[in-house]
Amino acid sequence: MSELADALEHLVRGIVENPDDVRVQLITTRRGRTLEVHVHPDDLGKVIGRGGRTATALRTVMSGIGGRGLRVDVIDTDR
Amino acid sequence: MSETLQAADADVRTDATGSAAEAEGGESLLVREGDVAGDYLERLLDLLDYDGDIDLDVEAGRAVVSIDGGEDLEKLVGRRGEGLESLQELTRLAVQQATGVRSRLMLDVAGWRAKRREELSELGRSTAEKVLETEKSIRMRPMTPFERKVVHDAVASVTGVHSESEGEEPNRRVVVFRTS
Repeated sequence: MSELADALEHLVRGIVENPDDVRVQLITTRRGRTLEVHVHPDDLGKVIGRGGRTATALRTVMSGIGGRGLRVDVIDTDR
Repeated sequence: MSETLQAADADVRTDATGSAAEAEGGESLLVREGDVAGDYLERLLDLLDYDGDIDLDVEAGRAVVSIDGGEDLEKLVGRRGEGLESLQELTRLAVQQATGVRSRLMLDVAGWRAKRREELSELGRSTAEKVLETEKSIRMRPMTPFERKVVHDAVASVTGVHSESEGEEPNRRVVVFRTS
């Protein structure tokens, strides 16, 4: 597992009710790198935040660490 | 210092639960906030293998966490301190998750806020003086809430001018007016 995924997983675990359900995967394709965040369905709102504020904060911190072009996607497991 | 005091006043008015809990828990709650934040950030530095010392303090009724160390920390500060603001927000959420109380914790990384505070105070004062000379209002560039607060304080120290914020985030900016 990459240190980027580990770092994001830690950041997300700290802010949710169900830290054990947090999984982050780094996916690399020709179009770039994406960190996929999986959380307990009850924690989706917490990770996204009001108006997407928390997801934006996670993206901003991770692009500082991992460089531009690093995407962060919060996966909606309900679907 | 009036910056932090004003922020404290504003939060007491809008955040009744936070201030009530703060009155009960007082200093010990703020120390606990610092501890939770310190653990959260220390683990982040470990995972990234960044060098950094974390310093915890309580200033003007809020927990203050400062990280100082190697060059890697610039990556956490980010462009115009946007990374720092985001990391502060996440750290506040982590503290709230652990304590159940909204946090007003302040995070500084690599002395960025301290340095910016000086530069922005100077910018606020020089802008105020220009408004006094030209008698025309000046709209400054968009700034973060932290930056605007520092500028408002600097403008307030000059007689004959006042300032307001206008616009929506992230394009909210300070406007300096001649007081008639």
